[in-house]
Amino acid sequence: MRTGDYKQTYGELVALIDSPPVWLWSAVLMLALIAAPHVLNAYALTFLMIILITVTGALGLNILTGYTGLISLGHVGFLVTGAYAYAILVSKYHMPPLVGFLGAGLVPALASLVVGAPSLRLKGLYLAITTLAFSFIINTVILEMRWLTNGARGISVQRPEILGISFDSDAAFTYLCLGIATLTLLATLNIRRSRVGRAFVAIRDNDTAARVMGINLHAYKLLAFVTSALITGLAGALYGIYLSFVSVEGFPFLLSIEALAILIVGGLGSALGAVLGTVLIVLLPEATRLVFSLFSAQLDAVFTTGAQELKSMLYGLVIILFLRFQPRGLVGAWHDIRRAWVNWPLRY
Amino acid sequence: MQYLLQLLISGLAIGAIYGLIAMGFAVIYKSTGLVNFAQGEMTMITAYIAWTISTTVSGNVVVVAFGAILAAILLGLVIERVVMRPMLGEPVFATVMVTIGLAVILRSAINFIWDAYPHGLDVGMGRDIVRLGGIGVRTGQIAVIATLLSLLAAIWAFFRYSKMGVAMRAVAADDRTALLMGISATRVHALAWAASSVIAGIGGVFFALSYDLSPAMFQLGLKAFPATILGGLDAVLGSGLGGLLIGITENLAGGYLGSGMKEIAGFAMIIVVLMIRPFGIFGERDIERV
Repeated sequence: MRTGDYKQTYGELVALIDSPPVWLWSAVLMLALIAAPHVLNAYALTFLMIILITVTGALGLNILTGYTGLISLGHVGFLVTGAYAYAILVSKYHMPPLVGFLGAGLVPALASLVVGAPSLRLKGLYLAITTLAFSFIINTVILEMRWLTNGARGISVQRPEILGISFDSDAAFTYLCLGIATLTLLATLNIRRSRVGRAFVAIRDNDTAARVMGINLHAYKLLAFVTSALITGLAGALYGIYLSFVSVEGFPFLLSIEALAILIVGGLGSALGAVLGTVLIVLLPEATRLVFSLFSAQLDAVFTTGAQELKSMLYGLVIILFLRFQPRGLVGAWHDIRRAWVNWPLRY
Repeated sequence: MQYLLQLLISGLAIGAIYGLIAMGFAVIYKSTGLVNFAQGEMTMITAYIAWTISTTVSGNVVVVAFGAILAAILLGLVIERVVMRPMLGEPVFATVMVTIGLAVILRSAINFIWDAYPHGLDVGMGRDIVRLGGIGVRTGQIAVIATLLSLLAAIWAFFRYSKMGVAMRAVAADDRTALLMGISATRVHALAWAASSVIAGIGGVFFALSYDLSPAMFQLGLKAFPATILGGLDAVLGSGLGGLLIGITENLAGGYLGSGMKEIAGFAMIIVVLMIRPFGIFGERDIERV
């Protein structure tokens, strides 16, 4: 009788996917996602696009906050830098979109060196507040550099055409987002099971101990910043294209908090958690609206007049409730369910 | 010279407001080890309640001040009891995230209850202009600087000499050991939240008095962050002085470099300061065991 999920070799421990059923279900999910743009209506497709873009951004933050334990309250700064890098390269200087995406990754990565280097000595909340400061400074820099960024007027962005393939339609753009999100997921999973990923986690668990064990704190913390900013920048470019207009107002401070909320609701430090958290947080307002409209038309009316307020109140409430009752997030809940399923009727 | 003095005085006045809110941050940090990201929102609620009292009940200064302080105490206590106390003993990161969630809820609640238009708080005083050596100063501005200084003195004495103040420091240093020594951590936390809410609320009311109430007021909390960080999160006095420093820097940057610089002067300053002193100017260095 199987009594547990034992790993006997190192290869098994670091395997990307450790069991055939997970392979099967991942393939099914992938096929479903590929079929989705042809099946879903335009309204549902927008949610799929937002989920895919948000997953990319959340995975980026997950490397910094989830794996390395460096809390960033300013990730929207990298998002907006990526979006602007893409918009300036493609819309203003008419570069090919691939160059735009490259810039959307590299410019935030460089910016992350600027914010990361002074932050190396800082810990915990002091670091969180430095990143917060960074995101405000970057907004002002963008507004002031009018010759490059058009200041407060923003830059409009077209859907791209890459290697002769046009991503103009919603379905095609969803495929682009799906491709980038999948690659990001694979990249983060692979980082996690490599030497670098283990160094990140060691820093998160106790940085002094990690340093004693020979991990170069400065190099790895900077690496975490750069990787995280690169991925987040790509997400920013996608979000800019989705909005079809890049401006400072399009990237409010609330997005930073939303990203942290996603990680916490999903389960900090887990790629699966980032995905689950994104799905929940993106669909939460819509789900609530549906429930409200089921109950009565009056409630629905309240929801439309105070929609924005109620939506953010829900965010806050969900974050608090999750931290209170399920600190390990959706991933923790999933592990509990799985264990209960395997061990039933025994407790453990 | 006249211009410089004018900038300095108005910088001191706004800095005193930042200082009050920053002290609110520091009081909570000093006794619970948390950064309360909902401080700006709590400040804002107190200011809005003061405005509601002044328009519906009475515009008398004493009534408004008394009502606002009472409301702030109540707000602090309720938040501590309902939201924060269940998180006692949880990791700091989780608890800080709870305050972020709380901030989001409070901000939307304010927009939901009160409208989105700016309002001036009118209690019949505080807006008159006094000439001090050729420079126009509002009485409200003088009052807020005086309030900050007297509160600084009072809080310094409280933490230094009173039994409760020492208990608060003990809980901040190590809440389990403090519990074993017979200190009621919950009572300490409740007191800290109430005190912080009142101190920051006073700042909020003064802000409403000199400027206007508006839904963007929660940004005061974000502006007061640099002040707290500058002084060191665990230094209550340092935060108050940090506020003054940030206010002056901000105003000078705004006056001589342009309004864009005014917005970020404080943030740029803390990045520089933290590079040199990672625990703030007056903050104590953490010593860690592995």
